[in-house]
Amino acid sequence: MRSLSRWLVLCLALLVVAGLSGCASSANRQAMTPGDLATTKKFPYSVAVRTAGGSETGAMDSSNISDQDLQAAIEEAITQNKLFQRVVQGKDGDYELSVTIVHLDKPIFGGAFTVDMEASWALVKVSDRSIVMRKSIKSSHTATFGDALAAVTRLRLAVEGAARKNIEQGLKDIAALSL
Amino acid sequence: MKRGLATLVVVLLAAHLLSGCANRATARVDPSANLATLKTLHVVKIPEETAGISTLIADKLRTKGYSVTTSTSKESDADALVTYIDRWMWDITMYLLELTITFREPKSDFALASGNSMHASLTRKSPAEMVDEVIDNIFKEAEK
Repeated sequence: MRSLSRWLVLCLALLVVAGLSGCASSANRQAMTPGDLATTKKFPYSVAVRTAGGSETGAMDSSNISDQDLQAAIEEAITQNKLFQRVVQGKDGDYELSVTIVHLDKPIFGGAFTVDMEASWALVKVSDRSIVMRKSIKSSHTATFGDALAAVTRLRLAVEGAARKNIEQGLKDIAALSL
Repeated sequence: MKRGLATLVVVLLAAHLLSGCANRATARVDPSANLATLKTLHVVKIPEETAGISTLIADKLRTKGYSVTTSTSKESDADALVTYIDRWMWDITMYLLELTITFREPKSDFALASGNSMHASLTRKSPAEMVDEVIDNIFKEAEK
């Protein structure tokens, strides 16, 4: 009987530890990709996307956004909405879009998780290196118990939502330009 | 039951210790930014901040040769604004868990450069050491 209660306590402790700290996964690129941007703007140019400021999700870490996933989400959104004629890799594009995560504020505990994100967006015309747009875009997303019971999942959803809104706003701002 | 409680304590302690050694120190400078052209900086103090972080940042930047002003207002004629976010945690005593410092273009709020350091409890640093680390990392990145 004593042995059983000892095991129960051990299991409970491990559950608490897992709930507090474990099993975080990085933000998913599909979940960060915004849908329809509600713009008819289609620039007849190519664009190269580069991202920075992100980080991988470590074993003892909470959900982060990797540079590769952020780049893929932005490229996918541009392609889906046909904002630019094509997305290219490297330095061969007509324009270069740099998106850098400046700050990703995540809560440690709580029921509803609100994540605040700030990213700097810079669009440069490659031919003369002129800066077409430089903006700091702030976004926020809250995930509640209704979205996910597990804290690690709820936090990931909040991170993905903040990134999705940031990308949506950034691309809408670009769509408002006259290139 | 006592053994069970002991197990619980050991497991929670292990989790605490494992999470207590998390460290991070990153910096980045936007490719379109040139920190060498900046001469005057304005540190925007968080109004309710009482730990003196804004003063530490201003003092550190003065040692690098900048003319620095500080106030809670963002209105300034400086070449760049310097903002910060400090995140504190309690573990026996309060300590600065994470510090982010950002250099911004005054008109657009665009982040020209940014640095972030996080030291959990076991590797905690004083606020002055955190400010030194973040700003030194930003300028190291700018030299690359």
